[in-house]
Amino acid sequence: MSTPDPGSFRDPASHVVLDGDKVIRLLDERGLEGWRALSDSEFFRTAVADGQVIAAVELADAPDPSAAALEHPRLPFISYPYEWTFSMLKDAALLQLDLLEKALAAGLTIKDATPYNIQFVDGRPMFIDIGSFEPYRAGEPWIGYRQFTRQFLFPLLMRAWVGVPFQPWLRGDLEGLTPAQMARLLPFRKRFNTSALLHVRLQARMESRMADRAVRKDLSEAGFTADLILANVRKLRALIQSLNWENVEDGWSTYVECSHVTRDRSAKAGFLTSALQKYAPARVIDLGANDGHFSQVAAETGALAIAVDGHEPVLDALYRQSAGTGVAVVVGDLANLSPAQGWAGVERSSLIDRAHPDLAIAYGVIHHLIYGASIPPREVLRWLAGLDCPVILEFVSPADEMVAKLIGNKLPHELHGGGEEQEFRSLLDEMFVTSDEQRLISGTRVLFALEPR
Amino acid sequence: MIFGYLDPGTGSLILQAVVGGLAGIGVAYKAWRSKLGRGATKPGPDGGNEEPVEDTAQPAES
Repeated sequence: MSTPDPGSFRDPASHVVLDGDKVIRLLDERGLEGWRALSDSEFFRTAVADGQVIAAVELADAPDPSAAALEHPRLPFISYPYEWTFSMLKDAALLQLDLLEKALAAGLTIKDATPYNIQFVDGRPMFIDIGSFEPYRAGEPWIGYRQFTRQFLFPLLMRAWVGVPFQPWLRGDLEGLTPAQMARLLPFRKRFNTSALLHVRLQARMESRMADRAVRKDLSEAGFTADLILANVRKLRALIQSLNWENVEDGWSTYVECSHVTRDRSAKAGFLTSALQKYAPARVIDLGANDGHFSQVAAETGALAIAVDGHEPVLDALYRQSAGTGVAVVVGDLANLSPAQGWAGVERSSLIDRAHPDLAIAYGVIHHLIYGASIPPREVLRWLAGLDCPVILEFVSPADEMVAKLIGNKLPHELHGGGEEQEFRSLLDEMFVTSDEQRLISGTRVLFALEPR
Repeated sequence: MIFGYLDPGTGSLILQAVVGGLAGIGVAYKAWRSKLGRGATKPGPDGGNEEPVEDTAQPAES
């Protein structure tokens, strides 16, 4: 019994269904034409071998009314652009451009340009939407150009030029930034930059002047060629390669240098290793991963470690060294992780649904939820128990030096109850069975291995 | 002309020719003229007058 992938419905020529553990792509006649052209090309074989494009095998039978069915390998974890760091979106954009250039050389094109067609597999971007390839028809422009600017280029410019994170915007508007919006965001010093003039301001102006006019045929008859697409692709690549972001010092990049971090690191790793041996999880979620040290400890056992943290600079550094390590990087505020959203509220699923961990690490994090985000300890534990897997948790008492910094401006009556160790332990007993515990040398922190009741 | 499932944006389609460089600017100008020039008499690039073009007609060969 197969179920349609709720995020795969926009393209009438190709959509994905999930059949147990299998990922099946169903094609109509037009989709089949694209697949034939793609699968016959050397470009496709090379791109699959290089890990740039997902593999696909044509099945002998296709269910009615499909013209053909392909099977893809199942990816271990799906993440969305609003959970990526700057370098991830940049690498994905460069892959999109690289593949378009190679596809054109092979007589193919990519009919859309959305980062949702790219996934990170073992720390490297991979294009997963085989249905996006189709034969290039002479004289056709690049249909995905506008989408490329909205969902790749403008978010990158927003971070690199404006200094504002793109993730909240991409999460709020799944289509990205419009040219008009980006034009309004441009800082003065970039307003007369050639790329800004063309891709942002001129596109915004032409969009407002030429709405609702069909022009593809006119372009073709005016002599449009694939060389113009290639020229655009090369300029976009040079622009995107030149983009860097101001790695704003926000107090977290130097977090690992804090004394309690280095002091407790080996004890926490040892405690985690025991739990990893006991539970042998295939999937681990590291909540508040910071520099990813404990994600790496988990990944070294062969698990997929999903490192979640709200601080992009440290995660970006982690991503840049994550290739081949088994660590997947997710930018996320633990007090507001990605929800299910999009069309009908199911097009993009929640982070926790996609992660479905076998074990959760919550080291050095619950005091930020309790004292930073003002979430009652009972609610924090209820949420962790709801993950329905063992939780390796670090309790941090209100007497801890780091908590003192968090509550320095709060009066005692402004804090939730349940944070003192004895109160916290009774909450733990309500929701979990404690299978192991260890007090850290500071005395204000205790590690727990917990199983939900 | 049947569009794909994605809205490519009319202005964005013409713009990408402009981004392509000098050759593209000529293409963009021709496409723009044949689109916006329909139904109206507009001076051509050489300053000469063009015949009015019906909305349903194919753009004139040049």
